[in-house]
Amino acid sequence: MQRSTHSVLLLGSIMCALLLIAWVGSAFAAAAQGMYSISDYYSDLMGVIGGEWEQVGGLFTYLVGQQYFMWGFLLIISVIPLLFAGHLLIIGAKHFDHGGNQILFFPPLARIIHFIGALSFTLLVISGLLIVCGQFFGGGTFIRLARYVHIFGAILAVPAVLGMLVIWFKDMLPALCDIKWIFMLGGYLSKEIKPVPAKKYNAGQKMWYWCAVFGGLVMLATGFLIWGFGANLDIIRYSAIIHNVLGMVIVAFFLTHCYMSIFAIAGSLQSMKTGYKPEHEVHMLHSLHKYKESDVKPGDHH
Amino acid sequence: MGRVKFLCDVERCIDCGGCVVACKEGHHIPVGVNRRRVVTLDSGKETEKSISVACMHCADAPCIAVCPVNCIYERADGVVLVDKKACIGCGYCFMACPFGAPQFPKGAVFGARGAMDKCTFCAGGPEENFSKEEKSLYGQNRIAEGKVPLCSGMCATKALLAGDADVVADVYRERVFQRGSGANAWGWNRAYKKKS
Repeated sequence: MQRSTHSVLLLGSIMCALLLIAWVGSAFAAAAQGMYSISDYYSDLMGVIGGEWEQVGGLFTYLVGQQYFMWGFLLIISVIPLLFAGHLLIIGAKHFDHGGNQILFFPPLARIIHFIGALSFTLLVISGLLIVCGQFFGGGTFIRLARYVHIFGAILAVPAVLGMLVIWFKDMLPALCDIKWIFMLGGYLSKEIKPVPAKKYNAGQKMWYWCAVFGGLVMLATGFLIWGFGANLDIIRYSAIIHNVLGMVIVAFFLTHCYMSIFAIAGSLQSMKTGYKPEHEVHMLHSLHKYKESDVKPGDHH
Repeated sequence: MGRVKFLCDVERCIDCGGCVVACKEGHHIPVGVNRRRVVTLDSGKETEKSISVACMHCADAPCIAVCPVNCIYERADGVVLVDKKACIGCGYCFMACPFGAPQFPKGAVFGARGAMDKCTFCAGGPEENFSKEEKSLYGQNRIAEGKVPLCSGMCATKALLAGDADVVADVYRERVFQRGSGANAWGWNRAYKKKS
């Protein structure tokens, strides 16, 4: 009985001590909160007027100030065309028999959407590069004009990107044959013409599609924030960084797409104008594509 | 003369907004652009403090580093100025600035920003001193007239100091020395002592 009284007393005193410590501790914490030094004031002030400058603003200033973005873009637009020039000289363009049956690849709606997209992306890439490299032109009216063109291109890109998202989404979903295509780089590293594993669109076209559509949506969103300063300052800073980095990826794919369509596959630019690809090309470059009989138009051979 | 400097004595600033009005009126600054503004923290509390903020004319200014057309430059006396004719209004300087100083008029083509406008330390711009062009683009050039900037010249409590950095620092140091700072300041107890 006595033992239990002792233990109750002991427990009680420990509880009291803990309560006391908690009370003193909270009093100290309250006192510390009440103390507001002039350096606290300046640190709060900087957060109010300049956002998280030390984390985000400093990063932005470093990346842009060291001109990493400008040199990155310049590297991309000089090295990639050189690589393609080498490819054209060493391996050369692929030529297919254009006389056989013609197969419908791009119905009119797809061609219209592609045309709007092509126009807007071309305007965006050229004007964007001019803005990034504005110092070589001394800024002024010319680069300001490039900014207006950039905004106009972005307005055009909205229907183009959304349209491409809708009309090509299903055909652009990844398939198993894409892995094979990537390992042989679509057969573009050899002169030999043989069937390449690809359905209606090959892995390269799919990469460009996802980059242009989802990358394009991200570019539109970040660009919108940069255009109107419509967000917290730190989000605008991150937006500018993302806009530049993703811009490099899109410019690289854009140049690749231009090279493939204008040079690497002879006459392929024509298919986006007429909507038809020659049967020989389809059987070789899109060997797994199952087209409907109604999409076939008899060619000159018949 | 060394570098010029702004210093706002937060123990003296009373948030009257006079500096903002003087700057805006004196330079005919368009609507929506404020070269200077007063920021008040903890409004209504014991710790309330106000500060007048504009371009701080940084040494090694981040805006100069990020400008894609190199249109921002620093004068020998430390004044950081923008060449509005070259500026493309991209807004990078605003993103790089720790003080939110660069301002942009709206309403160019497609809602784009116009050329950046910010505090010139009342030193005009790259155009010829006292020319019409300088006045219309940048406002007055009081430095060339041998006067202090409008904002600090009119500051009623002399909270906002502007001028040679060494002189400004001396004035401020003497003030701090005389009054103590914060709760040690003369009159602090009379004004703020809690009646328990």
